[in-house]
Amino acid sequence: MINVQQLRDRAKELLESGEVKYVFGWRKGTFWYQSPPVIISKAEDADKLIWDEFCLNNLSKYLLDYKNLDGKIAIFVKGCDSRGVNRLIQDQQVKRESVVLIGLPCPGMKDPQLAREMGESKLNEVPKIEKCAQCLTPNPVEYDELMGDEVAAGLAVEERFVRVQDLESKSADEKYEFWQQQYDKCIRCFACRNVCPACNCRECCFDQSEPEWLGKRVVTAENQFFALTRAMHVAGRCIECGECERVCPMDIPIMSLNKKIIKDINGLFGEYDAGVNVEDKPPLGRFDENDPEEFM
Amino acid sequence: MKIIKRDKLKDLLNSFAKNAQTLAPVKENDTIKFLPWKGQGEIDLSQNALLPPKDLLFPQTEVMYRYTDGGVQGEITDVAAAAERQVIFGIRPCDVRSLTMMDDVFMTKGYEDDYYKSKRENTILISLGCNEPQPTCFCTSMGIDMMEADGADIVMYDLGEKLALEPKTDAGEQLLNDVDVLEDGAAEKPVAKECQLKADAEGLAEKLAQMFHHSYWEDLSRTCIGCGTCTYLCPTCHCFDIRRKNIGEEGFQFRCWDSCMFSEYTRMAGGHNPRPSKKERVRNRFLHKLQYFPERYGKVACVGCGRCVGKCPVNIDITRIIGELREVSVDE
Ligand code: SF4
Ligand code: SF4
Ligand code: SF4
Ligand code: SF4
Ligand code: SF4
Repeated sequence: MINVQQLRDRAKELLESGEVKYVFGWRKGTFWYQSPPVIISKAEDADKLIWDEFCLNNLSKYLLDYKNLDGKIAIFVKGCDSRGVNRLIQDQQVKRESVVLIGLPCPGMKDPQLAREMGESKLNEVPKIEKCAQCLTPNPVEYDELMGDEVAAGLAVEERFVRVQDLESKSADEKYEFWQQQYDKCIRCFACRNVCPACNCRECCFDQSEPEWLGKRVVTAENQFFALTRAMHVAGRCIECGECERVCPMDIPIMSLNKKIIKDINGLFGEYDAGVNVEDKPPLGRFDENDPEEFM
Repeated sequence: MKIIKRDKLKDLLNSFAKNAQTLAPVKENDTIKFLPWKGQGEIDLSQNALLPPKDLLFPQTEVMYRYTDGGVQGEITDVAAAAERQVIFGIRPCDVRSLTMMDDVFMTKGYEDDYYKSKRENTILISLGCNEPQPTCFCTSMGIDMMEADGADIVMYDLGEKLALEPKTDAGEQLLNDVDVLEDGAAEKPVAKECQLKADAEGLAEKLAQMFHHSYWEDLSRTCIGCGTCTYLCPTCHCFDIRRKNIGEEGFQFRCWDSCMFSEYTRMAGGHNPRPSKKERVRNRFLHKLQYFPERYGKVACVGCGRCVGKCPVNIDITRIIGELREVSVDE
C-alpha cells in the first residue's frame, strides 16, 4: 500500500503553500475497522490523514458544500471518487480547475462488518466489501498526480450483473414482493441520497413541501415512489460507487436496482460507464437518431 | 423469581399474546426489530434491535384524526383512539431508560400527549439484561446498569440455557401469574462484561451553554452528510412533523418523525431557514442532547445505546464528541 506519510506530506505542502484551501481525505475512526472522511484546512492537521483498508467513503460529494469557495480543494481520489468528481463536473456543479485530484490506485476496501466479527488479528483474511468486489475502475480515471502504481482491474465484467440475473429470474409478482419487502424497511433517512454524487440537485424534489411530491408518511406507497424516483433519476448517471447501499442503515439492496437500470441502458443505448470519461454525454442526456423508439 | 428454558420461549410469548399485543425482537430480512408476535419467527436476543422500540409508543407515522370536508358540517373522527394493551418483551436497559425520557417529553411540563400517553399506560415492559455489550455500547457511562432497568415491569436475566424473570411492579407480577409455562426458581444475576466505549457527559451542559458560537461546530459538521440515520435510530430523539393528506372529500391528519438534521426541518413559509447549514443542524443535535434536554429535564438525552455510533455513515461518534467538547477551550 501507498505510504501514509506521502499523503500527509503532500497535503501539508498544498495547504502550506496556499495552493488549496481544503484537503479531503480519510482519518482513523472510532474502531480499527473504520476510516471515515476528514476535511482539513490547516497544515498541522495533515497528520490526521490515513490510507488503509477501510477508506470506504466516496469523498466527491463534499465538493457541493464548497461550490462558492474562492480557492481550490485537493481531494484524494480512488477510482470511485474520481468518477464522482467527473459526475459533478458533467452535471456542472464543480469546475475541473477548482480541484486538485491526487489519485490513489485502490486495492479494494475491506468489509468493516466482517472485520469487526473476525477480529484485528485476521485483518488479512477479511474479504473486500461488496461494492469494491464489484468495482470496475479501482484506478483513478482522472487525476492531476498519482501516488503509487496502478492496480489490476478486479472485476470480470460478467460478474457485474450477477444480482441482476437473480432479479430477472423472478416473476413480476415475485419481483414486486421482493421490492415491497425491501422498501418497507426503509426509514427514509435519506442517507442513500445524501451520500450520492449523482444526487446533486440544488433542491431535491423530496425536500419540497409545496408541491409535496413525496408524502412524508413512511408507508409502502410513498417508500416505493421514493425508491423508484431516485433510481430513475440517477439512471445513466450512477457511477456504481455503491455508497448508497453501503450507508443504508436498513441494508436495502439498492445496487440491485441501480445495476438493473445500468444493464438495461447498456442494452438499449450501448455500453456506457458513467463518470469514466467526462466528455461522453450520459445516454439519457443526449439524442441519437438511432436510439430505439419502441414506445412511439 | 420465575424461570423459563430458552427453547420454551415461544410458549411464553404465545401465552402473553393471548391477552395482549406482544412485541418481541425478531430477525426479519437480516434486521432485528420489535415485531408483533404471531406465533412464529426467529426471536433474536443476541443483541439489541437496530430500530429503537420508541416506534411502539410513538410510531414513525401515526394518524391523529380523520375528517370529512363539509365546511361547518364537516366531521372529525377517530381522535386518539384508546390504545390496546401491549407487552414489550426483551427491551434492553438503555431503551427502558429512553422511554422515561419520552415520558418527560410527552407527559410532563403541563402538556400531555394523548396519543403517546394512552399507549404508554397500556404497555408492560419486560427488560432483558445485557451480559455482553456490543463494541458500540456505552450505557454504563450514562449511568445505566446493564442488568437492571428502572421502569421495567419485569426484569429478565439471560442465564444461557434459561432466562430468569423477576417482577418489579404489580402489573408485572400479574402478567407472570397469568401464564403457566414458567417455573418457580432462584438464580444468580449474571455479571455483565464492561463496556469498551466510554463517555463522560457529567456537567457538560454548563460549558456548552457558553459554546453556541464556538468554531468547534463548523469543524465537526464538515463531514456530516445530513441524513436522518442518527436521529431516526436514536431511542431518545422525538421530533415530529404534522401533515394532512386529502383524498377526495375526506382526509386525515397525521404526524411522522422528523429530524433536525434535515434542511427543511426548520425551513419556514417564505423560505427563510434559521438553521441554514450543516453547522447549525449538527450543533442543534448535540446541544439538544447534551445541554437543552439536561437544562429542561435534568438528564442527558443519550442512553449510550450506540446505534448512532454504529450506523453513522461518516462515524460522527457522540462519545468522541463528548470527549472533545470536554477538552476544547471555551474561548476557542
Ligand atoms: S469502489 Fe473501487 S475504487 Fe472505490 S473503494 Fe471500492 S475498489 Fe476502491
Ligand atoms: S446511486 Fe449509489 S452507486 Fe450510484 S452514484 Fe449514487 S451512491 Fe453511487
Ligand atoms: S438509506 Fe436506506 S433507509 Fe435510508 S432512505 Fe435510503 S433506502 Fe431508505
Ligand atoms: S445519541 Fe446515539 S448512543 Fe445516544 S441514545 Fe441516541 S442513538 Fe443511542
Ligand atoms: S451525524 Fe452521521 S448519521 Fe447523523 S446526519 Fe450526520 S452523517 Fe447522518
